[in-house]
Amino acid sequence: MSEPLLEVDDLTVQYETDDGMLTATSNASFSISEGEFFGLAGESGSGKSTLAKAIIGGLDDNGQVSSGTITYRGEEIQDLSDKELSQRIRWKEISWIPQGAMSSLDPLQRVSEQALEIGNVHTDLPDEEIRDKLKETFDIVGLQESRIDDYPHQFSGGMQQRAIIALALFLEPELVIADEPTTALDVIMQDQIFTYLDRLKDELDISLLLITHDISVIFESCDSVAIMHASQIAERGTTDAVHANPRHPYAFMFKEAFPDIREPKRELEVIEGHPPELMGEVDFCSFADRCPWAAPECREGAPPTESVEDGDPSHVTACVRKEEAYEMYRSDASPIDDGSGAQSIAQMGEVD
Amino acid sequence: MSSLRRYFAVRSVQTVMMLALVMTALFVLFRSMPGDFTAQMAASGANEEALQAIREQWHLDEPLYMQYYHYLANLVQGNLGESPVYRVDVWEFTKLRIFNTFILVAPAMTFTYVIGVAIGTVAGSNRGSAFERFGTVPIIGVGSSPAFFTAILLVIVFAVWLNLFPTSGMTSPGSTEGLAWWEPYLTRDFAAHYVLPFTAVVCRYLFIPTLIMRNSVVEVMGEDFTEYYRLTGLPTLTRLRHIAKHASIPVLTIYPVSLARALGGLVLIETVFNWPGIGFTLVEAVLARDYPTVQFVFFVVAAFVIVSNFVVDLVYGVIDPRIRLEG
Repeated sequence: MSEPLLEVDDLTVQYETDDGMLTATSNASFSISEGEFFGLAGESGSGKSTLAKAIIGGLDDNGQVSSGTITYRGEEIQDLSDKELSQRIRWKEISWIPQGAMSSLDPLQRVSEQALEIGNVHTDLPDEEIRDKLKETFDIVGLQESRIDDYPHQFSGGMQQRAIIALALFLEPELVIADEPTTALDVIMQDQIFTYLDRLKDELDISLLLITHDISVIFESCDSVAIMHASQIAERGTTDAVHANPRHPYAFMFKEAFPDIREPKRELEVIEGHPPELMGEVDFCSFADRCPWAAPECREGAPPTESVEDGDPSHVTACVRKEEAYEMYRSDASPIDDGSGAQSIAQMGEVD
Repeated sequence: MSSLRRYFAVRSVQTVMMLALVMTALFVLFRSMPGDFTAQMAASGANEEALQAIREQWHLDEPLYMQYYHYLANLVQGNLGESPVYRVDVWEFTKLRIFNTFILVAPAMTFTYVIGVAIGTVAGSNRGSAFERFGTVPIIGVGSSPAFFTAILLVIVFAVWLNLFPTSGMTSPGSTEGLAWWEPYLTRDFAAHYVLPFTAVVCRYLFIPTLIMRNSVVEVMGEDFTEYYRLTGLPTLTRLRHIAKHASIPVLTIYPVSLARALGGLVLIETVFNWPGIGFTLVEAVLARDYPTVQFVFFVVAAFVIVSNFVVDLVYGVIDPRIRLEG
């Protein structure tokens, strides 16, 4: 693999609150290479949006990167000033598709007006060229070029979603961060949006950081995945490897909490409780309190991130009982699995 | 832009209809008041012939629908009749007073709104700050005290103690002799008289736009598109401008309402400062049962509110593309 486009290393992000420092992301590491679709999965409150916002310097005023680095094309960007980020990184290099496109477009502005504002902040291009770029992108996402001057309310919900994808793409960024881009849409629209995103992968050669709570979406469209629980990355690797050999209890329980068309009869997993809100340093496994297999050592220091020896060098997990937890889960919790799930995903990988 | 034009046309027609409705309501109101209209119009001790002359002049012996017709015709033609108290034409008598009131209220209320929107924006966008929590307290305090109280306080402090401004009136006695009607308004003397009543109006009404704008900004700050603006890296000032644009819509809505309230409340301020405006005139006219004057002043105030509503509607249409669709 070539040098990674984006590398997040040991990143801790905290929010200042009345009760002290709330840790939203703790020692998270992952990297995205050029052209890669990377999925970041987890429940709400797991810190995935915070992690993504930290990358483009979009944390709320009380949030800060406490330690760790974010490296974009070999340059550390976590300490860049707002101005530098705007001039060099935002939208030209890394852009953002927000959660809830229908409410993210300003109803009082034409889409083209919003594009011009974004374009003028981040580039020196003349207005006419910015408009041309937006038109081209509208074409790619399947909207008529003439409609760039429409107001958001003149679009249907799905069209607004595509318009905001166009706004993320029109300055030709290398990396697009999509924060739950399809959560508000029905399944048909969801599918359509991912068809567009897949097309972009082929046509524009962009990378995508997809944040979602719906891990089935990631299994369907991403190359790699990281699963987060309460500020920590529990497991990470290629989608195939994580799907076939999940080792972290949160990873396999989370995975099995979603229906899978390949295993129609499987009962859905239920994970009791909610991700905890963590104050200060997180020096324990944040899943320990919800984990059926938690051992005393889970609470003695943050679990080290270690390789899962399954042939995928990027597949790592942060569980001190990674060797035995999955075995225990399989032996008493899943009577119907015969190992075919692992095979079928491998086949799917070839078809893709 | 044809939707904008259609929206303007519809609103114009509605405005004219509202004005006609007000004219009718005033007619009904005044004709249903107790007492003999003719007797009120006549000088005391008038004989039967004089009364008959008045009835004929104002068509008071004709059926009600004919009276209504003549009333409308007169009003539209600007024939407002004669004040039975002052024995002068109502228009001649009220026109300068109307002007005096508007020259006080319109700039003062506009200034109030501009300042209130600015303060509200700063307060709302710095939620939880000391300014947001305590800065609005004096504004609310002053706004909650009676208008005449604030006005008298201003007079005592700035006119009596500090002797910075004259205590009352619009111009110094004798200073306007030989001047055309508009010339006094351009003098320093007028400006000095203008400051305190102007301040009194601002103090009285500042809390309205300030509070509405603050709440409105807080609400807009929580909208998804505000978050999106932040993530796109737009400069703070640009973002604040967008937020203010959204947040100003409720403030605009309340603006004509405030104007109406200010015109009503102005009676007290005009009385304290002895400002020769319509509030003052209206009180005198009501006490003297000067029907033609009261009727006309009512109409002017109502028309003013209706027309400002119309203007605000037009501004809505320009600001918010979604409103145009509703026609």
